[in-house]
Amino acid sequence: MFTILSFKVDMVIVPATTGQMGILPGHTASISELKPGVLSIHDGNDVKKYFVSSGFAFIHSNSVADIMAAEAVPIEQVDPASVQKQFTEFTQKLSSASTDLEKAEAQIRVDVLVALNSALSG
Amino acid sequence: MAMAALRREGRRFAAPLISNNPINPLHSSFAPAKEQALLGVRSISTQIVRNRMKSVRNIQKITKAMKMVAASKLRAIQTRAENSRGLWQPFTALLGDTPSVDVKKNVIVTISSDKGLCGGINSTSVKISRALHKLNSGPDKESKYVVLGEKAKAQLVRDSKKNIELILTELQKNPLNYTQVSVLADDILKNVEYDALRIVFNKFQSVVSFLPTTATVLSPEVVEREAESGGKLGELDSYEIEGGETKSEILQNLSEFQFSCVLFNAVLENACSEQGARMSAMDSSSRNAGEMLDRLTLTYNRTRQASITTELIEIISGASALEG
Repeated sequence: MFTILSFKVDMVIVPATTGQMGILPGHTASISELKPGVLSIHDGNDVKKYFVSSGFAFIHSNSVADIMAAEAVPIEQVDPASVQKQFTEFTQKLSSASTDLEKAEAQIRVDVLVALNSALSG
Repeated sequence: MAMAALRREGRRFAAPLISNNPINPLHSSFAPAKEQALLGVRSISTQIVRNRMKSVRNIQKITKAMKMVAASKLRAIQTRAENSRGLWQPFTALLGDTPSVDVKKNVIVTISSDKGLCGGINSTSVKISRALHKLNSGPDKESKYVVLGEKAKAQLVRDSKKNIELILTELQKNPLNYTQVSVLADDILKNVEYDALRIVFNKFQSVVSFLPTTATVLSPEVVEREAESGGKLGELDSYEIEGGETKSEILQNLSEFQFSCVLFNAVLENACSEQGARMSAMDSSSRNAGEMLDRLTLTYNRTRQASITTELIEIISGASALEG
């Protein structure tokens, strides 16, 4: 499902592939690829966190940022217990993976779960 | 379709009127053919007209039900389609939509429905795809088709079979979601070489109006080329590219993501247009059936009264023959 949210905020922190990137008004124009992680939107003292699977962030020179994510879940809806369970399950699968494809798939899952874990605890 | 069935029945209706020859003791068997035809009207017609009225009434009920079903499906999918429009807007803001771009390898993705009875939307999509194909075929340009949906497949396979790269059907078996469409997009991108992808679909404007549209997605190499030559994409260079190793890798991911977003929106919009077109087609079909029913009722009453009148005439003339 897709919801389009559009509002004026003070700062947005996106999980870019180069690390967490903070975007303030007046940021230079940029296109960055996102990796799975936490997107936090700061509006005054209000902070909203979403877990995004991956996507792109476009920052235009007129202080408009477009964040396109394949999936974005509000952090409250993530279940910590199932994250833990899947984490142990897939670290096992990663070590026992035989083909390159399986290894890559398991690695991707582990990365996402690590990010989820840190998002929940952080 | 309903009208064709009724037309066929109409021919059958006319035949018995002429061929039936009931034996009537009051008239000589050498009566001219015309009189025999009029005699035929008397005893058989009401049953036939009644049968026809029953079938037309059933068809009217069916088309009314189909209209309701299409209306409810439309309501469910309309909000999703409108929300998904926001998906490709940032891409267009960044990269622009350049349908007039001149490239060597074009791939035309035609989106159509699997089921019929939805008016003319599939034919318009196919017509536009054919026109695009013609526009983009030349000495050093070529274009291929990727077909989504049974209806376009049926029309394009007839004359462009060798130009079709990929055919995908049964998209709407499960409710449409992004994951399914991204898998489809992946499939297409892997199997087809392209410089520009042109997606042809019907954009949903309102329940009665659909706009055939083309969305163009360029491959990363073409994006770079256009960026260097200036124009809308020339501003692309002013954006810093973060992440990844090289600019072309990012552009590759970007173009693939753009394609899946645009395809998702296109499929949703086409589904909406399909339901809307089906609603109006079924609506006009029910209205037509209603009018036909009115005409048949009049005919039925007229034939009924005519048969009563002829019986009365016979009785009275018989009675007066006995007296006089």
